[in-house]
Amino acid sequence: MNLTLNPILALLIFPGGLCLLAFSLVYEFVDRKLIARFQNRVGPRWFQPLADFIKLLAKEEIIPAAVNPALFISLPIVALAAALTATLYVPMFGLQPAYGFPGDLVVTLYLLSLMTLCIGLAGANTKDRFSLIGATRALTQLFSYEAPFLLAMLGPAIALGTWNISTINNSAMHSWWFLLTQPFGFLVALIGLMGKLELPPFDAPEAETEIVAGALTEYSGRGLGIFHLGRDVELVIGLTMIASFYMGGLASPLDFLWKTIVLLLVTALLQSLFARLRIDQTVGMWWRVGTILVLVQLLVIILGRYLGPLIQPLFGG
Amino acid sequence: METNHVPEKFIVSIGPQHPALKEPGHFEFTVDGEVVTNATARLGFVHRGMEKGTEGRNYVQDLYLMERVCGICSHVHAMAFALGVEKLAGVQAPPRAQAIRELIAELERIHSHLLWLGVAAHEGGFDTLFMFSWRDRETVMDLLELISGNRVNYSANVLGGVKIDINEKQKDAMHKGMDFLEERTEHYMKVVTEDETFLGRTRNIGLMTKDQAELLGAVGPTSRASGVPHDVRVDSPYAGYADFPVKLITEPAGDLEARFVVRINELFESYRLVREIIDHLPEGELTVRVPRRIPEGETVSRVEAPRGELFYFMKSNGTDKPDRVKVRTPSLCNWASVLTLAVGHKLADMPMILAGIDPCFSCNDRMVTINRGNDSQVWSWEDLRKYGIDYYK
Repeated sequence: MNLTLNPILALLIFPGGLCLLAFSLVYEFVDRKLIARFQNRVGPRWFQPLADFIKLLAKEEIIPAAVNPALFISLPIVALAAALTATLYVPMFGLQPAYGFPGDLVVTLYLLSLMTLCIGLAGANTKDRFSLIGATRALTQLFSYEAPFLLAMLGPAIALGTWNISTINNSAMHSWWFLLTQPFGFLVALIGLMGKLELPPFDAPEAETEIVAGALTEYSGRGLGIFHLGRDVELVIGLTMIASFYMGGLASPLDFLWKTIVLLLVTALLQSLFARLRIDQTVGMWWRVGTILVLVQLLVIILGRYLGPLIQPLFGG
Repeated sequence: METNHVPEKFIVSIGPQHPALKEPGHFEFTVDGEVVTNATARLGFVHRGMEKGTEGRNYVQDLYLMERVCGICSHVHAMAFALGVEKLAGVQAPPRAQAIRELIAELERIHSHLLWLGVAAHEGGFDTLFMFSWRDRETVMDLLELISGNRVNYSANVLGGVKIDINEKQKDAMHKGMDFLEERTEHYMKVVTEDETFLGRTRNIGLMTKDQAELLGAVGPTSRASGVPHDVRVDSPYAGYADFPVKLITEPAGDLEARFVVRINELFESYRLVREIIDHLPEGELTVRVPRRIPEGETVSRVEAPRGELFYFMKSNGTDKPDRVKVRTPSLCNWASVLTLAVGHKLADMPMILAGIDPCFSCNDRMVTINRGNDSQVWSWEDLRKYGIDYYK
């Protein structure tokens, strides 16, 4: 589906900007509610994420002594801005991306990583012990899931021979779901997204029973609210990308809705199934299992691309 | 930043206010990266002066005070105190009272162990198990409320017996409750011994050998998980434990997983015991008369609290008030094991190792004397009293 809008409108209201923010809060609610139901709890009311956000905006923002105030204030904004910028290149709500150029996949993935980098920097910026350990863990985790996640997202791109998100989305609509042809890639991408968002069981960087709130321990009020909002936005973008790459593309808003909600259901289930991994276990898992799986799959894809045309005549294709 | 100059002295302090600990205790872990190289504990944030408080009240009032030493094992404290006073007075509670005491003690153990299972899982970031075990714990809380009218301080003991009786309707409810809990606990046993991510956090973590456990003076399930065959209920049966004996449960492994397995096996044993007691409850009186003035003497009363051996020393002076009551709760004995085991483990394991002994802070709290070089000072009771009055004036 294609929709032509004034670029300013596209940026600020729909599909980026306000509309996306509202959607990300709804997705946070769905995520929290699902986990609560899986854990036999009642869970939050539908407006709880919005209420939390408004409450945080209204609170005093305490800037601790011995931090760089400019960095302290700007980091959450940069993180949110990066996540919002990334929306321009992905098929939000099943619509054509607002912008696109060959290779925008790499830019989008980079913009998504910026969030973790900002969190790491925010933690390292303060002198708090919990923040410092949280920042170290966040960056350690970044180095463990980033490569497998990137490779997993490149799987469909290599198979289709283009690094443009909208082209991948359109081609994916006309072929088999990559979920079926590249199951490892799908798995690694989905779990990688959970690692990226520091969702349980990959929440060692913000393990509350060990290091309070990790890198964001010193954040209060507006900064914390914006970081949380940025993470919600990233959740929506991540789900959109995985759905469009691995689940047969996003042709319409309805398509977008059911595919991302199914993905969210799976992540919520995974979040409530496991005990938290220690940071060394996380790193070990990603490099020993995740990376190997994706590499094997990449090898298969590359072989398939070169051998495919050779063996195709044999099957009468 | 000073910590940057001496990286090996990077100290992570946990508590007295910290999300991992819902009770105030202060721990300092010296870490090298993620590995803990030294651990110290500081207690004394919630010292309430209860031992001293007993001396100003008579024995009946003390019973109510001692029940409030601990919020989780309230019954065993009252029972230990009542048993001690009865020993000093030279009387013995009737068999039915003793059996009901044991029954409530076992119900309390079930509630405490289920609570612990949830807390320990939460410390390991396994909130689903936390929520489920606490939901199921409500069953036993409801049973306790059904028989005593209270969820926490059951107030079942009086000097010389118990004040509550068990009727047929309550027995039925308890049978149903035990059946439900047994089924759920079997599931938890499977989770704890089979779930890969959970085992990754418990297997071979916090390893304590039998020798170490004995050397460090660990008690209760913590020591039994290291294969120390020690349980006051078995070694010197009190209350009804002679008539309704309990099976000693030990595990040789000594790691966190063993501590889970020991406690869950104790749950099964408690379910069996509860069923047996309500099926064979002796008939008879609930109380015997205990004199108001307790003859002069000294005694020791030991019971097995959910966390281990609870020790009461009592000295009477012939009046209706005790001369001295000394309480030593099991958590105090287990700190040494935590601080020793912490060294060499990852910081991420600390909450679970801490929770592994099922610590209970306020009941084990001690007065702390701070020695600042030579200016040490000793405050008498009058000094403290005056300081307190001035402070709150």
